[in-house]
Amino acid sequence: MKGRRWRTFRRNKTAMVGAGLVLAMVVMALGADWFARFDPETRQDAFRSPPNATYWLGTDENGFDVFSRLVHGARASLWTAFAAVGFALVFGVPLGLIAGWRGGWIDSAIMRFVDLMLAFPSVLLAVAIAAVMDDSSLTTVILAVGIVLVPQFIRQVRAAVLQVRNLEYVAAARALGAGDAAILFRTVLPNCVAPILVLATLSTGIAILDAAGLSFLGLGPPETSPEWGVMLTKAFRYLRHAEQWILLPPGLAISLTVLGFNLLGDGLRDAYDPRQSP
Amino acid sequence: MIFALRRILVTVPLLLAVSVFVFLLTDALPGDAADMRFEKHPHLKKEWRERRGMNDPTMVRWWRYMSGVVTRFDFDNSYLDDQPVGRELGNKLQATFELALFALLVAILLGGAVGILSAVFPRTPIDYFGNLLALAGISMPVFWLGMLMIVFAVNVLGLPFSSNRFDPTLDVDEFTTHLFLFESVFRLRFDVFWSCVGNLMLPGLALASIPMAVITRMTRSAMLEEMGKDYATTARAKGLRNRSVILKHVLRNALIPITTITGLQFGTLMGGAVLTETVFSWPGLGRYIVKKGVDGRDPPVIVGGILLVATTFILVNLLVDLLYAVIDPRIRRQA
Repeated sequence: MKGRRWRTFRRNKTAMVGAGLVLAMVVMALGADWFARFDPETRQDAFRSPPNATYWLGTDENGFDVFSRLVHGARASLWTAFAAVGFALVFGVPLGLIAGWRGGWIDSAIMRFVDLMLAFPSVLLAVAIAAVMDDSSLTTVILAVGIVLVPQFIRQVRAAVLQVRNLEYVAAARALGAGDAAILFRTVLPNCVAPILVLATLSTGIAILDAAGLSFLGLGPPETSPEWGVMLTKAFRYLRHAEQWILLPPGLAISLTVLGFNLLGDGLRDAYDPRQSP
Repeated sequence: MIFALRRILVTVPLLLAVSVFVFLLTDALPGDAADMRFEKHPHLKKEWRERRGMNDPTMVRWWRYMSGVVTRFDFDNSYLDDQPVGRELGNKLQATFELALFALLVAILLGGAVGILSAVFPRTPIDYFGNLLALAGISMPVFWLGMLMIVFAVNVLGLPFSSNRFDPTLDVDEFTTHLFLFESVFRLRFDVFWSCVGNLMLPGLALASIPMAVITRMTRSAMLEEMGKDYATTARAKGLRNRSVILKHVLRNALIPITTITGLQFGTLMGGAVLTETVFSWPGLGRYIVKKGVDGRDPPVIVGGILLVATTFILVNLLVDLLYAVIDPRIRRQA
């Protein structure tokens, strides 16, 4: 991204807010060991302590320091979301490229598969996949959320390929003697990067929400892991015995991160394709 | 007519593919509910599997299952107690249907109003507030919103919170369906009706947050696009009041894309309800699938539940496409 697009992007205040939020969360995740004041899974002296100088956000019903868990939760949530989107990219992009480029029966077969996957509401499909894997862990969540995202990527990439495949520079590459693979990866793919980037950014937000949802349904990582969805679920379960504000830290963390990715994704779309923006 | 026929014919193979795909889950899912039953008598499990016909080839079992579903609404028996799961699935589906429909109605009314206002006053505080609301709707986890709503309603407003669909002291023995909201109107039982509406309020509002965001954004952009067109200028030039130009001319044309997006949201709501239902302990299909099927490790519940939701999803999308052709004659001519 450079020149006019970069300037449009820099001038877009909401996109900058989104980039700031995402950057803050990434820094928090990378430096979790350094920011956290205690180990997130070690009992402290106080149970359900209110916030004080030692425990900035208090302690939970296990005596774990909430602030440290929140910081480490950024790592779990971002890792889950990035891994799930990565999975969707690895499978969705090649399939979309092939479908759009080859057409014919390959295209039909891939698109019928996409139709089949899209016939299920995404949360329910993720629940079914997690139930089949029958192993409550972050890996399960990553795969369940990743698989659900794949059809969107296939559709988007295919549409992008269809737009550029008959353009002159593709014909020029062919005239220069380039093979199918070379044309696909060196000529077609670079020209499809913009919509893929926008979709990947927006999907990261969706992945964080879906992962937290699976945790909430008890299909995610074990109950002591420092993960935002788990923290929120436990806070809700023990609400009767605690102050009500304990719902705020994990909920706000999820919402602000997802908001960041949504703003960033909208901003990228505005920069790359102003006509598409709502 | 040809358009409708073609659209319906395309749906049939999709439904078939979905049924095969979902049925294949039966063997892939952990069926520990049966293991627990036969823990002490493993030899009985063999006999039990034989009796249920679970050793037959997959295609034979699929055919038997699907013919049971289509002809008798029979979704096979639970692994836990060999009781048919069809009736319970049907009842829960109706609970989810009412919740999703209520949420969609709320989303259309609120989202539509905010979207229209944002389009009429672009780049004003009203527009920014609407945008903020939409962003919050797509960024907040729906179950967190639900938790906050429960805390606010119970602890701040002091309202009673009930996880029932209506006041359980009411007598509903005469009701034949589980669509209590609709049936109460037909039976003129307004005590049941208002009780249902009251208990739908919190989960309905929470669930509405997601489609509301989408509908707000879609309404705003569709309205802005239509307002810039020549016919709107003409209507204004011939002296119509701004309000009637917007409500009678512009809105009517903007409705086409809004209808599509709204219809697609309904299916998502049916599936997305699983989180809302869990927070509010709403006795719906999503919660039933997770609690009894996934936690209770009972595959027929999961398979039947997902099959029902996916079928509803596909049929609603079909209905929207057909409706779309009714609203916009251009679609009919394309086919």
